[in-house]
Amino acid sequence: MSDFITSIKENNSIVIIETNGYLNNVGGEAVSAVVYEKMAQGQTKFLINMAGTKIVNSIGVSILIEIIEKLQEVNGKIGYYNLAPIVAKTFNIMGLTKYSTVHETEEAAVNEL
Amino acid sequence: MASDFNINDLQLKYLELETLLDITNELNSFDQISVLLQEILVKSCGVLNASSGLILIEDDNSDVLHIGADFNIDISVLKGLIFNKRKGIISEINESRKALNIKIEDDSFLSKTQCKFGLIAPFLDKKNLVGVIILFDKESRQGLSPFHDSDANMLSAIATQASVAYNNIKLIENIKEAKTFNDNVMQSIVTGVFTTNLMGEINHINRAAIAIINLDKENVLGNHYEYVFESNEFITQLITKCELESVTISESQILLECNGKSTTVNISVSPLMNDANEPIGSVVAMEDLSNLDKLKSTFKKYVSKQIVDQLLENDEMLNLGGQEQEATILFSDIRGFTSMSETMAPNEVVETLNDYFNLMIEIIFKYNGTLDKIIGDALMVIYGAPNSTEQDTENSVLTAIEMQEKLIQFNQDRIINLKQPIKIGIGINRGKVISGNIGSKQQMNFTVIGDSVNLASRLCSVAAADEIIVSDAVWKKVKHLKSFKSKKLTPVKVKGKVKPIEIKEIQYNRPEFQYELAYEKIEQFLLLNLPQQYTYHTIEHIRDVVIQSERIAKKEKIEKSVIQDIKLAAWLHDVGYIWEPQRHEARGAEYATAILNEMKFPKSKISLITGMIMATKIPQSPKNHYEQIICDADLDYLGRADYDTNSNNLLQEIELVKKLTPKEWLQIQEKFLKAHIYFTTTSQKLRNQNKNKVLNKIQQQLKNN
Repeated sequence: MSDFITSIKENNSIVIIETNGYLNNVGGEAVSAVVYEKMAQGQTKFLINMAGTKIVNSIGVSILIEIIEKLQEVNGKIGYYNLAPIVAKTFNIMGLTKYSTVHETEEAAVNEL
Repeated sequence: MASDFNINDLQLKYLELETLLDITNELNSFDQISVLLQEILVKSCGVLNASSGLILIEDDNSDVLHIGADFNIDISVLKGLIFNKRKGIISEINESRKALNIKIEDDSFLSKTQCKFGLIAPFLDKKNLVGVIILFDKESRQGLSPFHDSDANMLSAIATQASVAYNNIKLIENIKEAKTFNDNVMQSIVTGVFTTNLMGEINHINRAAIAIINLDKENVLGNHYEYVFESNEFITQLITKCELESVTISESQILLECNGKSTTVNISVSPLMNDANEPIGSVVAMEDLSNLDKLKSTFKKYVSKQIVDQLLENDEMLNLGGQEQEATILFSDIRGFTSMSETMAPNEVVETLNDYFNLMIEIIFKYNGTLDKIIGDALMVIYGAPNSTEQDTENSVLTAIEMQEKLIQFNQDRIINLKQPIKIGIGINRGKVISGNIGSKQQMNFTVIGDSVNLASRLCSVAAADEIIVSDAVWKKVKHLKSFKSKKLTPVKVKGKVKPIEIKEIQYNRPEFQYELAYEKIEQFLLLNLPQQYTYHTIEHIRDVVIQSERIAKKEKIEKSVIQDIKLAAWLHDVGYIWEPQRHEARGAEYATAILNEMKFPKSKISLITGMIMATKIPQSPKNHYEQIICDADLDYLGRADYDTNSNNLLQEIELVKKLTPKEWLQIQEKFLKAHIYFTTTSQKLRNQNKNKVLNKIQQQLKNN
């Protein structure tokens, strides 16, 4: 597990990944590695707790889009919660929110995903 | 479907613009430089896909920058590096003032970061470089790449906005720092200072001013000065004048009454101006003089104001130690005080000495003498130490003469009040003395010692009552002054000297008898001592006789100098009622003789005055014009409109001894009025007609009875 991923857990068959730091190329690759590994194990639903990530760049967003594309192939889903306003805004501008969901809390995310 | 997910350039530009807008909106919300720099760096890295970043910011008063913020970078590798504005890539930025795309060379300090590409933009304060923002390694899905020119434009825009915010925070920090500095200075100074705004509200105040105003800070700040100083109209007027006229006003020794506390202050009120030289309020400085006053009042018990001021200006004078110098020493001593005090109550002894010393010390300080000691009833005074002047000896003799003169006036009061007069002898010598502050650090006294001091004391012993004895050394110093006269005395043998000492007695003129002072003192004596039960022989009657005697005397063309004596007799004509009402004229004459003799009043005048007193005895028997005047004044009311009031008062007084029937009283009055005659033409003309009316009225009443 990279420094960017601080925890991975499951809740109601949903893999919850907690991140910390810059969601850039490195951070994005760390997330995708976990997601692809879990997909190989049959998991299709993912949530990212982004409380520790205050900034994201377009490369990080690109990687998330790649992950969404992969999940769509298996009818999987990905969602995010605890987003900093700037991160939420970036996700919105970059069109990410059209293909994935943003939630307020873990409980809401688990219920809605 | 996959093409839908491609991030296009338009989205990226939109994100850049939104980020720039966010930064612009948020920048002014930061009040700490470190938070501001971190936020700018993080957002810049995010929007420009930088893998990491660094902000270097200026050190105060230096060309060296330090790390102000870092993102996603191990700054330990930069430890020990000096980021000099005048060297390397920072120097280039300093010159170009533009964002630069750079490839990090092996020899650049940035190579320590292991990054390959950099984008660097300046933070400027006007034209000065205050810092740089450096982004490292633009990320792409293909790996790291150089930044684009468009990235440089974006970073420049961010850096420009950030510079404004940085300079604002810096400015606020400087203002806060200056305010803290000013507050610290204000609080530490002992002068009370406060400022008012244009509304007249007090908006700053220091600790010293709060102590003077004697109110809690909360009750002062925000309140109008007229409220805070409502019982000090003078202060509010000063501030108002300053506000209206924009002038600085200073006043000294102002007594400030604030919430039960009185403080003497020197006050200065100045207009407070802004950069455009427009008034924005007032600043008031108050120097608390209490401590200085305490110091001065303590010192002033011993030395004159002049010497206090010299000591305060030159504290070296307070050092322990001594020096040999010429000085003049005066000793005075009350003659026979020990035996006098044996007949007095203890509190009277203290009161008498205090009254006497107060009077004498005032004279001593008038002539710049330093009161060295009070030894029982004796005084030792120094002239010429600690500071000497050409007038020292002259001043000592002037002091002695005035002491004797003032004592005569002082004794006038004592004599009138039948107290034994105080008589002093004074001795003065001049010579070498050792002067200095002698004693311990805890208690030291300025004094002089030496043979010359001892001789002055011996001369004082030689002096009889009312005498001023000076040594030859003193006389030589003052003999050229025509105002002084001396009488050579037989040389005296004094203890400690083998040869007899040449001495002189300083002659002085006895001051003229102070009639007005005597009238005042006699009136006070009568007020205190006249028996309260008398309704006719009262202070009001005596005052009336004084007024009438002066009036009649003037009409009778009596000389002014004699009118003074007639008035003195009038004041004294009933004083005998204090001791012997039955023979009060004789008792009054005895009293007058005693006190006037003691006051060295001319003998001829004493008999004139006692004659006038005795002439008022009923039946009146004046032997001269002056006695006729006082007799007419004494019974002036017989022909006045207020006859009834006076006769009723007399009746009440008579009835203290014997009750009379109305008829008896009418008969007494008829007999008295028929027998009475006014002696002076003035009274005959003015009072006879009315006196006859009064007589007729009484006779009518008797007929009706």
